[in-house]
Amino acid sequence: MNLYKQLRNLLFIGCIAFIGCDDYLDINENPNNPSEAPLAGLMTNSTFESAQNTFRMASISTNYVQYIASPNAGSSSDIMDPVDYSTTWSNMYNVMTDLSDLVAQAESSGANHYQGAAQIMLAYNLALTVDAWGDIPFSEGFSFGTLTPAYDDDAALYDEILSLLDLGIQNLSQPTDFSIGQDDFIYNGDPAQWVKLGYMLKARYFNHYSKTDSYDPNAVLAALENGFESNADDAKVTYFEEEFNPWASVARSNANLILGGWISEQFVQALDGTTFGVVDPRLPTMISTTDDGDYVGTENGAGRGNAPEAGARSVLELGDYYSSDLSPVLIATYAEQKFIEAEASFETDKSRSYNAYLAGIEANMQKLGIAQQEISTYLSNEVVSMGLDAFTKDAIFKEKWVALFLNPETWVDARRHDYQYEDFTLPANINPQLNSQFIRRLVYPNSEVSRNGRNVPDVTLLDQIFWDE
Amino acid sequence: MKKQLLLLVLLLLAPLCNLLAQQKTIQGKVTASSDNTPLPGVNILEKGTNNGAVSDFDGNYTLEVQEGATLVFSSIGFEKKEITVNGRTTLNTAMVETTEGLDEVVVTSFGIEQEKKALGYAVQEINAEEITKTKQPNVVSALQGKVAGVQITNSGGAPGQSARIIIRGINSLDPNADNQPLFVVDGVPIDNSTTESVGTPRGLSNRAADINPNDIESMNVLKGAAATALYGVRAANGAVIITTKKGKAGQVRININSSVGFDEINQYPEFQEVYGQGFSGVYDPNSFWPNWGPSIDEIQEIDPSARFYNIWRDAFRTGVQTDNSISVSGGNETTTFYGSLGRLKHEGIIPFSDWGRISAKLNGQVKLSDKFTFSANINYTVSGGNRVPHDRFMERMVYWTPNADITDYINEDGTMRSVGTNTNPIYDARFSTYKDEVNRTIGNVRFTYSPVKWLDINYLLGTDYYSDKRTEITPGPLGIDGENALDSQGFIRETRINSRDINSNFYLTFKNTWSDKLSSTLRVGNDVFQRDYEQVSALGEDFVIPRFYDLSYTSQISNSQDKRKRRLVGFYGDLLVDYDEMVFLNLTARNDFTSTLPIGNNSFFYPSANLGFIFTQAFDMPDFFTFGKVRASIAQVGKDTDPYQIGQTYTSSEIYPLGGQVGFSRFSQFGDLQLIPEKTTSIEFGTDLRFFENRLGLDLTYYKSNSKDQIIPVPVSNAVGFSTFVTNAGEIENQGVEAILRATPIKNENFRWDITFNASYNKNEVKNIREGIDEIEVGTQYGYAGSTVSLRLIEGEAYGNIFGSSYERAGADPNSIFLNSDLPQVIDANGFPIRNGDQLVLGNVTPKWIGGLNNEFTYKGFDLSFLIDFRAGVDQYNQYDNFFSAFGIAKYTLNRNETIVFDGVLEDGSPNTQPVFLGQGVGPDGRDYGAGYYRNNYRTVSENFIHDASFIKLRNISLGYNFQEKVLEKLPFSSVRLSVAANNIILYTPWDGFDPESFSAGASGNATGLTGLGYPGVQSYYFTLNIGL
Repeated sequence: MNLYKQLRNLLFIGCIAFIGCDDYLDINENPNNPSEAPLAGLMTNSTFESAQNTFRMASISTNYVQYIASPNAGSSSDIMDPVDYSTTWSNMYNVMTDLSDLVAQAESSGANHYQGAAQIMLAYNLALTVDAWGDIPFSEGFSFGTLTPAYDDDAALYDEILSLLDLGIQNLSQPTDFSIGQDDFIYNGDPAQWVKLGYMLKARYFNHYSKTDSYDPNAVLAALENGFESNADDAKVTYFEEEFNPWASVARSNANLILGGWISEQFVQALDGTTFGVVDPRLPTMISTTDDGDYVGTENGAGRGNAPEAGARSVLELGDYYSSDLSPVLIATYAEQKFIEAEASFETDKSRSYNAYLAGIEANMQKLGIAQQEISTYLSNEVVSMGLDAFTKDAIFKEKWVALFLNPETWVDARRHDYQYEDFTLPANINPQLNSQFIRRLVYPNSEVSRNGRNVPDVTLLDQIFWDE
Repeated sequence: MKKQLLLLVLLLLAPLCNLLAQQKTIQGKVTASSDNTPLPGVNILEKGTNNGAVSDFDGNYTLEVQEGATLVFSSIGFEKKEITVNGRTTLNTAMVETTEGLDEVVVTSFGIEQEKKALGYAVQEINAEEITKTKQPNVVSALQGKVAGVQITNSGGAPGQSARIIIRGINSLDPNADNQPLFVVDGVPIDNSTTESVGTPRGLSNRAADINPNDIESMNVLKGAAATALYGVRAANGAVIITTKKGKAGQVRININSSVGFDEINQYPEFQEVYGQGFSGVYDPNSFWPNWGPSIDEIQEIDPSARFYNIWRDAFRTGVQTDNSISVSGGNETTTFYGSLGRLKHEGIIPFSDWGRISAKLNGQVKLSDKFTFSANINYTVSGGNRVPHDRFMERMVYWTPNADITDYINEDGTMRSVGTNTNPIYDARFSTYKDEVNRTIGNVRFTYSPVKWLDINYLLGTDYYSDKRTEITPGPLGIDGENALDSQGFIRETRINSRDINSNFYLTFKNTWSDKLSSTLRVGNDVFQRDYEQVSALGEDFVIPRFYDLSYTSQISNSQDKRKRRLVGFYGDLLVDYDEMVFLNLTARNDFTSTLPIGNNSFFYPSANLGFIFTQAFDMPDFFTFGKVRASIAQVGKDTDPYQIGQTYTSSEIYPLGGQVGFSRFSQFGDLQLIPEKTTSIEFGTDLRFFENRLGLDLTYYKSNSKDQIIPVPVSNAVGFSTFVTNAGEIENQGVEAILRATPIKNENFRWDITFNASYNKNEVKNIREGIDEIEVGTQYGYAGSTVSLRLIEGEAYGNIFGSSYERAGADPNSIFLNSDLPQVIDANGFPIRNGDQLVLGNVTPKWIGGLNNEFTYKGFDLSFLIDFRAGVDQYNQYDNFFSAFGIAKYTLNRNETIVFDGVLEDGSPNTQPVFLGQGVGPDGRDYGAGYYRNNYRTVSENFIHDASFIKLRNISLGYNFQEKVLEKLPFSSVRLSVAANNIILYTPWDGFDPESFSAGASGNATGLTGLGYPGVQSYYFTLNIGL
């Protein structure tokens, strides 16, 4: 009988040793990921990713606005096929998620400046997303209210964007318990510049209403008053030795014959004198020449034909303004603001408009480091300074198109302008479903169709965003 | 529960307090009747009592019995024998081996041998000969086609590439769940995970491939939850029980095994071989387009020097596999040992792909006394190879023009020779290397102490430790003008994985014989499992010196780290009651505690019961009815999740620090704070019938299992703020039937023919998914221009429905999610069929039927066997075909210059009569057709690429000859065997493409129906020599 006792004791010990010991099993706290993030860490990632998103959205639309053309015939973005941009979509939402966390965390810790900067960046990323996809989920997003968030009306989202900008400006104008510092890749923590960006973006988005009945040029001009004052105010992220500018990566790959970044024929011809009869001095700082020293573009949709892979066409190259390893990605510029001013004042004060137009060109040229002499030569050319009477909105759109090279904002302009740029032609081999019209929006990504299918609106590539209708 | 267990223990122990009456001693020797060798381990029992003994190493026994007693001799594998003592003091006897099959012994949990007839659930065992005959370097593949209800899929033909095993269908709705069974070697679970490469698929190994199949004595597949209740959560998908070879007492045996094998692609797609490089029918030797140019004849008119190559044959080589191993075993009465060394080397059909394995094993058993035995096993393996980027290789094959020699891939200066900007796949395979080296030790020690006859105390401690060192290199430019570099910067990624499993298992076994008819075995125990896993990886980009590949000499470095720890503690009890070898009742109970679920929800209890009834014992049956059993079981098994699934966290991307700052982002996964364990309940009914002295046998099983409260990382809209939400989200049901038919139509002294046929049918249904989640995406695969397909789970539908775009059908039910392909297509005003972008179900990737037919013939020294296996009722997405249509490579694109009228109706219902040109550019009718039908229309419709992936394969055929005694007498060998074998020959498949068995996700992925641009499947031929000394 002693044996039973021993056995029973053994069993008991075994059970108690383990059951009683929750500590032994309490090892499930994630050692890889912290459960909270510092404000500065969220700020760093959000500023960096906002620049990345600027690049990502631009890389979708650069073919549509004929900055870039594919070296291969019939490439899907070149011929405006429906393309699945699930990854870009998730990038946009990742940043908006982080920004909504940053807003909430900053609010609870009295970090008004963080909160304000986050609201402005949230407005920016939201607008990038709406301008590409129209109705998107937002009001039911970023929390656990639902797993299948409803799609908000794009016009209502614009109200949200403008209200976020107002809140951002307001928060940045207040004292803060925590100041932003080097963690801010855009402005190094300068609240005054963030406020200017807030106003500049307000002007930009008010101006997007240009085709609609709600367009109020005075609201645009009012916002501009507090916007950027010079190129020094430009919102941008400068890239790093550890992480090169994404356009530089395109250029480097292309140099190694992993082709990309070939310049569209329309863009080259608009700047080399073919289309407008005036040679743009910015050309050498933007794109490469051929081996023969010429600027030769590639026709959108047609591919490179018999041209070899290198040396015969103009491409993005390392060392140029937009495509050097340490180049900035520009989010919003003083030059753009000048063109917005030109457009908004065109009907009411044409001479203000004309001067803003010329100032926009000059600001961009200075930014690109063009010699003042060359700037003057260009500005004095009668094709450029055609005089007040001959001055048209077309001229504003054309020069803005050049000044906003590789910026996603141009696709908004192109649609507001109905792609009526001089000499713009439909790409070869265009997607037959477009019935010979330019693309107006993106289709919803496959990830949304499969995960949130019931809410995803049924759209075609010809359906317009509300401001384009 | 503790109290109940104690009670049970007490109940079982009580009758031991018998008083013994007048006694006499009897002794004797037990031998085998076949060869008169002594039989150790025979149970000798005084009938009607608990009094007994076990024969020793020399077959001797001694037992004190009462006057006039009857002795019952029994041993597994022998017929039971009863002899009355009749006053004798010495009683020698010879035991007769039982007719095979009847008293088969199988190893179930913890290395415990059990008689198959005592089991209330289906098991199927594969022996050493069957395993090695297949010549599969991967033990998982060796099971292919052999076990009912077990589906094995090779993920491709690469050396060392993983094979996937699924038992009775997929039990989890979790797209990332490992639905594969637990692998147990000599009673200790081992890791069989597959860690795929980051980025392009490279076809890595499942870790069971580290086991040398030559060391395996037997493999046994435990299918239902009943069979696995004792292994707990980790065996929720079943278990594969591997028993390795042990030494046997007697003369030392040495076995030498040497084989060489050759691989070649077992099936090619149908290619067009008429049209060459260019676009729109215009020849261009620099064109990106390999096959949209004019015909070969026309090209040769333009350029008489133009040549045409069969790139799809030139790019591959014959794979070569060599496998050499030696084993030494032997021992004496108290000590036995087995030791082996093995070396396998395999070079694949894609140039520069290889894999190898060096393994060493030592096993020893020591019987320290009658009461105490000790055994130890250690297995050390070094495995790994160069994993070529096969998916990229095959994609680049698609872009490669038949006008250029693909094997002429390198210039003298080391740069790539290519056409236009296309990358030469062979150059990439050579320089974009991915080498892995696994160093692995699997070891265990087992102590058995039997203080008294009715009690065994066992302790089993095992470890599985490996380091997996991976180096991926893609070179940057060499800095030579005009070179076509593989990557603009080049990079090196060093990955180090360390994984350590520890299993501790302590259990007590109480055996009792209550009467000559009733006996019982009770086992109670505790096991503890811990896994420590760490992965560190560093990425260096932009080599400072071209071709000097070291992290220190790169200009951009980033790194990441992943650490995981998981613990499980289980307590279990297992009671087996045997009544007159006729009725067997087995009850089990287990409680698990896991570290991965929230405290409070992390303890879970589950029971099982099964019953076997041998009715041929109970009723008089006609003579031909040798054996009949019915069995039933009901069982539950719980399941936890992976570590660190709960709650919200933040993460920092690999790119940081940047400018001295570290950015944070919300982690894309959120885990439910109230997560509870999953529970699978399964029932099983079956029968095992044998006729004509086992010449004919039939085994039938029906099963049904329901897994509830499944823990699933549900992909959710990015707008939610996460991309996945881990929650208890649904229920899945599998039910099916399995049949095994065995027959021995011919059996005489010289000739014997055995047939085994198995088939199984599985039906799967997603019973429900948590509210708010409409569907769960398991995987997607790219297709051109809107033909991307996805695998999605929807409530009420089967696992594996594949969704994609289709052609518009006239009269289709707008509410149906299924494509009705019987309806006529709707033709657009432009004369081409209308594409329907709505995602409809186009097929299902889970096979409905799987099975195999094995035939074995032996005639004197010769043996011939062949195994045919099949799967049916399975569709897959043929990504190759999508690319082949887009690039004018598929044979059907030969009609590119024809004008046809598409069969279908216009939107108004009238038949289509409009002729259209299928080619590119301006057609004979003067209309501009742009990029042409195949690019504008055909490639954009997923429906065109969902194909029937059924097959019938000659999985293995093997012919061997064993030298006969007369010859052996003159040789210094005790045995010699020569054999030739062939594997994986496709006999029939409607699939147009490479072997439909390949898929891109690797063994751990569930998206098996998405073939990707997988490593083409191969057929192999082997020549083998075995020598015994």
